Amino acid sequence: MSSIKDLYDAILVGDAKKAHSATKAGIDAGLSPMDLIQQSMVPAMDEVGRLFEAEDYFVPELLLAGRAMKSAMELLRPLLIASGQKLGTRVIIGTVKGDLHDIGKNIVASMLEGSGFEVIDLGADVAPEEFVTAVQECEPRVVCMSALLTVTMPAMRTTIEALESAGLRDRVKILVGGAPVTSQYAAEIGADGYSENASGAVTLVKEVSSAA
Amino acid sequence: MLLKAIICEVLTREIESLIPGSPHEVDVEILTMGLHDLGVSMRPHVQQRIDSADEFGYDAIVLGYALCGKGCEGLRAAKTRLVIPRAHDCLGLLMGSRHRFLEYFENHPGVYYRSPGWIQFQKPGQRLEQATLSKRNIIGERRSLDELIEQYGEDNGSFLFEQFTSYRRKYSGLTYISTGVAEEEPLVRQARTEAEQEGWAFEAVGGSLDLLRRLLNGEWDTNDFLIVPPGAAVSATLGDGIFEAI
Repeated sequence: MSSIKDLYDAILVGDAKKAHSATKAGIDAGLSPMDLIQQSMVPAMDEVGRLFEAEDYFVPELLLAGRAMKSAMELLRPLLIASGQKLGTRVIIGTVKGDLHDIGKNIVASMLEGSGFEVIDLGADVAPEEFVTAVQECEPRVVCMSALLTVTMPAMRTTIEALESAGLRDRVKILVGGAPVTSQYAAEIGADGYSENASGAVTLVKEVSSAA
Repeated sequence: MLLKAIICEVLTREIESLIPGSPHEVDVEILTMGLHDLGVSMRPHVQQRIDSADEFGYDAIVLGYALCGKGCEGLRAAKTRLVIPRAHDCLGLLMGSRHRFLEYFENHPGVYYRSPGWIQFQKPGQRLEQATLSKRNIIGERRSLDELIEQYGEDNGSFLFEQFTSYRRKYSGLTYISTGVAEEEPLVRQARTEAEQEGWAFEAVGGSLDLLRRLLNGEWDTNDFLIVPPGAAVSATLGDGIFEAI
């Protein structure tokens, strides 16, 4: 089906307009949203991740692919909701309190969406209490936290402690990332995992959300 | 003592004002500011200067740096003591205390900082090359709108520029840290003008040269300074002490 290939290609080259039109053409031709997601978007985001690992794609290409994927999801999400289709595993993501940097977090969010997850993006400068409220209200499977400053990294620890105090820690998998973060720090603060880049984050979210 | 001071350019004016008051002989080397944009790839730049100084038999090599986004993690001198003030970055140094900076930071979210050096020495469009081959994790994107449009086209180029500059739009204030160096008035005015142009609130706060003075004077109490024995390396703990020697 040419829409499948057109959408795949559009995401890969980061063409948001073509992604939108290919999606519309696919829907008009009778493809289901899940067809487009599973046969175009997920493979496209996998390939984008592979190209990033191979150092053929860099941060700009990830941002553009994410944007193309988002423009497709604009059309698909209302259809999925209307048909009662269960969206993918729910993930909450945010940059921690005091930290305004969000490029990496935005890339992870859009790649997760493109891989079929339901993503709730809390934005930047998210206080521990906001994470707690979001977990209570949205009941995600995974919580992803980002920090780009060493001075805000301790907020990851206080957020995990806040989730523990609220009795919510056991209900979620907590993953952390951001340039100064390390797997050692993740282990030290009791997170469930760490990734050093966006494509690794997607792989990790898939792993932890399929584990018990 | 005979000391080698390896200093970030952003602290030039402050260090210059303190050197005459030090009881020690201090050889100063100033490295270009902005190395923190390289992330952990900053380390080789500073390490190379430490290695060079290590051969001269200084009593200590003192660093006008902090953790600097982990750019200073792993620094070591094979033969000489290294001394580094305990702070996350230069803002803690300029405020004279990592605790004072943290309190200000937590009570003033969304603030952009300036100091004499941040205004005087920052070079617009300066781009530092990564010391390593991998470009995977560059977040410090500095390309102009025109450069991005040329590479990615009007639509995608504009989008990328908007993404890379979006964090600036989240800021709501500019704080100038005053360190009392000579002829600071034009710099304060420049900071205020920058705030006005961005639509940010402006505040000037008094910094303190206390930490930098003690660094150059050899007053290295372990509460505020990490003394790294020869052969050991700086390692981030992110606790109150920021780092330790391992």
